[in-house]
Formats: sequence, C-alpha cells, structure tokens
Amino acid sequence: MVQDFVILCAAGMLVSVLLMVGQKALVVAIRLYGVQSLLLGVLAGALGLAGHRSHLLVTAVLTLVLKAALIPWFLLRVIDRVGIRREIQPYLNVPASLILCLGLTVVGYRLSVGMAAARQGVPHQVVGVALSMVLVGLFLMATRRKAITQILALLTLENAVFLAAVGATVGMPLVVELGISFDVILAVLVLGTLVNRIVDRFESMDTSRLSSLRG
Amino acid sequence: MSPSTTNVGALALAAVAQAVAFLLLAPVLRGLVRKAKAAFQIREGPRLLQPFFDLVKLLGKERMRSTTASWVFAAGPRVYFASMVAATALVPAAVAFAPLEAAGGVLLLVALLALGRFALATAALDTGSPFGGMGASREMTVGALAEPALMLALFTAGLSAGSLNLGELVRRSAERGVSIHPSAVLAAAALFIVLLAEGGRVPVDNPATHLELTMIHEAMVLEYSGADLALVEWGSAVKELLFLTLLAGLFLPIGVATSLAPTALAVGLAAFAAKVLALAFLVVLVESTNAKLRFFRVPELMAVALGLGFLALAMRFF
Repeated sequence: MVQDFVILCAAGMLVSVLLMVGQKALVVAIRLYGVQSLLLGVLAGALGLAGHRSHLLVTAVLTLVLKAALIPWFLLRVIDRVGIRREIQPYLNVPASLILCLGLTVVGYRLSVGMAAARQGVPHQVVGVALSMVLVGLFLMATRRKAITQILALLTLENAVFLAAVGATVGMPLVVELGISFDVILAVLVLGTLVNRIVDRFESMDTSRLSSLRG
Repeated sequence: MSPSTTNVGALALAAVAQAVAFLLLAPVLRGLVRKAKAAFQIREGPRLLQPFFDLVKLLGKERMRSTTASWVFAAGPRVYFASMVAATALVPAAVAFAPLEAAGGVLLLVALLALGRFALATAALDTGSPFGGMGASREMTVGALAEPALMLALFTAGLSAGSLNLGELVRRSAERGVSIHPSAVLAAAALFIVLLAEGGRVPVDNPATHLELTMIHEAMVLEYSGADLALVEWGSAVKELLFLTLLAGLFLPIGVATSLAPTALAVGLAAFAAKVLALAFLVVLVESTNAKLRFFRVPELMAVALGLGFLALAMRFF
C-alpha cells in the first residue's frame, strides 16, 4: 500500500518535470515545482510513518514548508518584481526538447535496471524516476536562457537526488538533511538576488547576455 | 458474468439503461462543473439543472438552416449525437462490465469518437461560412493531435491488463487490485490532457466564450440552432462524461462492482460517482487557475500528452 503510494508520488514528480519541459510560462513552471516538492514531501512523510523513521517526518515537514511553499512564493515574488513572465526563446524549441527528454527518461529508466540492488520493486521505480529527473533537470539547465528556469532546473535536480536518497536508501542522517535544506534556501535567496541584479543590468533575464561581460 | 452466459436481450437492455443514465447525468455534471467554476470566481453561478433547461428550451425552438446547406449539414449533429451515445455502451462505468463490449474495444471507441468529430467538421464546412470552416479546421487540428495521445494512453492500460477490450480491461485491473506502476500514472496524465482538449476545456478552448477569434468548438457549431444545437450540446456533455468515466475506470479501478449483488452495486455506484466528481473537480481546478493557451501553443501541450503516452508505453518494457 505504502509502496504503491510512493510509486504514485514519484511518477507524479516525473509528470511534473515533463510538463515543466513542455511549456514556457514561468508562473506555471514555478507552480509545477511547488507541486513536485509537495509530492516529495508527502512521499517522505508516508515512508516515515510507515517505517517508523521519525527523522523522515522532519524531512517531510522541511520539504513541505521550504520547497513546496516558501521557495515558490519567493520565486513568484521575484518574477513579479522583474515583470518577466515567459521563456521567450529557449535554445531548443518545445517539441525538440520534449523528444530529447523522452529519450533521457528512457535512458534514466534503463540505467536504473542496471543497478544490482535495485533490480525490481519500489527502489527500481523510484531510482528510475530519480535518474530521469536528474537528466531532464540537467537538460533544462543547459537549454533554457532565463535565469529563473535555470534555478528551477537546479532545484528539480536537487529534488531528484533527494528522491533517490529517501526512496531507495534508509535516508540520510538528519544533520545532513538539515544542512542541505539550509543550503537550498540560501542558494535560492542568492540566485533570486542575482536575477534581480541581472535584470537591473541588462533589462532581461537572459543569462547568455552575461558573456558580453567578458573583457 | 461474461457476455456468453447472458442473453442478448439483457445486454441490449443494459446498453439502453447505461445510455439513458449517461444522457441524464451528463447535463447534471456540466451544471456541477459550472457551479464549481462560478464558486472559484466567487459568483453564485446558474442553477444546477440549468443545462437541462437549456436543452429543453433548445429542443422546443425553431431550427434555422442556411439556404446553401445540404443534407450533410442536417446529418452532422445527428451522427455526432448517435456516435457519442453508442460510445457510452462500450465503457464500463459502475460495474466492471460494458453492455456492448462484445462489439469491440479500445479501437472501436476511438473510431466512434473520430466519427462524431468528422461528422461535425464536415457539417461545419457544408454551409461555406468562414466561421464554420475556421472552427472545423481548428477542431481537426486539435483532434489529430489528441487522438494518438488518447490511443497511446489506452494501449498502455491495455498492455498492463493484457486486453484491449474495455470491459475485460477493467475486470482484470479490478481483480489485480491496486498496484501502481509509473506508466499508469503517466498514461493517466496523458489521458487527462486529452480530456481537456476533447472537452474543449480552458488551456485548449474556452467553453464559455463567444469571442470569434478564440473559439474552436463553438465556432464549428455556430450555425446550428434549435434542436440541432441541442443535439450538439447534449452530445458534447455526454462526451465529457465519457472521458471522465474512461479515466476513472481505467486508472482508478477502486470499488468497481464485479458482480450484480446489491451491496457490490451500491459500492460501485458510490465509487463511480466519487471518482467522476473528483476528476471533474480537478478539471475545474485546472480551468480556474490557468489561462487559455494561444492556438499555436496548443500543439505543444498536446505534444506533452503524446510524449507522456509514449513514455508510459515504453516504461512497460523495463
């Protein structure tokens, strides 16, 4: 029962990543990230309750509060302030990115079969989803121009690593998890400020313009 | 209760009963969706049964037809309505059994939906008015993109259950109990996007608009009036309920009645109502929190549905 629920949440996260690839509105991308983090938090909570791993409950609460609520709220505020709503011209158009991401997901899934300990059952599915999300996250970071989308891709990557850690192992020590959460929130704050600065300087969020700063 | 043990008369009766139930429930569901949408916009909204009253009103009104219209124009709404009603008998609702499942499975269902769309689109072209042609062209564009996604999602469900017959499919997944595979989640997501497109819901089309440049389905049926329009509206409502039923039956096989015992039937009906209402609420949620996509962005959304469908099918082989 719990295993089904875990797979449901993990697959939901994969759907949210693919939807993120498939559209350009920044607000929707941020909301999708919120949904993805919500699923991750619920997944961690379910595993914690089922396996009596109390430190996972702390993780779940941290994920829900920080990643599902605080970070999306902060990013929505950032784009409200800079007034840029869409990813106008990614390096690759949407259909091409989708096809590539399908390939990457298949590769990620296929790789997870190769892991001896995760040959079948829940770990296989969860690791498969996590690997696919890592690949798609990297792809998004490389092909999108807007700083906000790149931040979201980085955060997706982080969610994916977290998913693998929570779903396939007994979980990380609480200290490590606290440290990571703190790192993520700091990274988002710094990057948010950076976005503001980039927009102030170039009147655009396009990170490729940063290369004009080279001497 | 397999088709071979029950006689033809009982099956026909079951088919008629299911079709009538769909015809009566579809406008109610539409009313509920409108009510919920209005609640999101902090409005009171029309009465729950307003779609019914609209249908009754339209059925009693004079029908106007253009002098340039041929029999194709008259046949359009009838064929559309008939194919939607016929499709209801192929889909298991509260019981894990479809009245006419012996007639065909997934492919017949897709064919019936396509037939209805074809009839309406040709009828819209028939009068030669620019709006009809524009609407028909848009509807076919969306349809051509939604159909493969629909088929991939249905095939994924069929592959996991080992049958392409909808009744058999639901029976097997009900027998197996709840066991979730990622491919089912992806296929369900693909089918949900198709549902939004086929039902003319917000990211793709706006059911409430009569603004010429943005409408798709409404532009196509702009020239119909009276009973013709009633048939089109009713058929569309049935189609929407059909898709919700399909999504609920294939991917949420919880509480489906596998026998005709009264308790199982009651549980089945309650579970069916709960699932359809939950899915309809999800549609309302999507519709209320998203803006309509520009028409040339719709293919991107449909590409996501298609991609999810492909991926769902591919994952079955790992």
